[in-house]
Amino acid sequence: MTNKEKINMLEEILELDEGALKEDTVLKDLEEWTSMAALSLIVLMDEEFGKKLTGKQIKEFMTVADILEQMN
Amino acid sequence: MDLTGKHILITGASSGIGKATAIHISKLGAKLSLIARDEKRLKETLTQLDGEGHLIYLIDLKETHKVEKLINDIVNISGPLDGLVHCAGIANVRPLSMTNTDFLHDMMLINFYSFVELVRCASKKNRFNKGASFIGMSSIASKSGDKSKTAYCATKAAMDSAVRCMAVELAYKEIRVNTVIGGYIKTDMYKIYIETAGESAVNRKISSNQYLGMGDTNDIANAMAYLLSDASKFITGTGFIVDGGFLS
Repeated sequence: MTNKEKINMLEEILELDEGALKEDTVLKDLEEWTSMAALSLIVLMDEEFGKKLTGKQIKEFMTVADILEQMN
Repeated sequence: MDLTGKHILITGASSGIGKATAIHISKLGAKLSLIARDEKRLKETLTQLDGEGHLIYLIDLKETHKVEKLINDIVNISGPLDGLVHCAGIANVRPLSMTNTDFLHDMMLINFYSFVELVRCASKKNRFNKGASFIGMSSIASKSGDKSKTAYCATKAAMDSAVRCMAVELAYKEIRVNTVIGGYIKTDMYKIYIETAGESAVNRKISSNQYLGMGDTNDIANAMAYLLSDASKFITGTGFIVDGGFLS
């Protein structure tokens, strides 16, 4: 899966338009980066990548690139 | 309350509320048939019970097609049931946007469909004694909404609604059916929930709504014992609220 495809998945769960996210986008600058978004990310990581993310791990993500690193 | 000689089946008996209920009602003299998936933890529950004649059965209640044979086997070995307590359940949270049909189905399967199947099979001829009491473990979630809980709340509301019908339909067999509507109780399930929902957010909710504080598994076990006993013989078709004041 390409990084573009992964970013598209993130844009989908954050309900952002395609192209809204870049790898260096800072998560806390996003209005859409809420606790509900975090839950959606947990589900996405589990269903698409078989990875169990915790709330603690999510709190440590600073940028989109940090999330992309987990998506493999 | 005396449950001496009563044969009670408990699902989800390997941990949390199911385990506490099993331990408590064993002290009141009941003979137990315990059901769960986790053999190691179920055996651990067994070692903590008072009395004798208790047996354990391993089953994943997602496999509802296996329930009928299980009930038949349990009754053949230990006799007809005087009580059934369904504590098995999952509390997975997901935003509505991620609550697809597969997820909703899995939640319903364990939390609700398996309960209906257990009651359906346990209420058949010769599988129960008159005066039997069947109980589903429900939640304040059945009566209050929150973000990310569409599926979980729906499963508990379904259970609360179903017992009203079951109670009417099974009254002529002298079977009572109720739910226990529990508030926030300190269990492994609660620990997993705050891991995803965030402890501070949940604590705010508890301190503002559940003004008697955090519940203990024994608070629920006591309610289960009461509903299983003849002391509650006039109670059926209802949700017995044990919630530290949350719903008030």
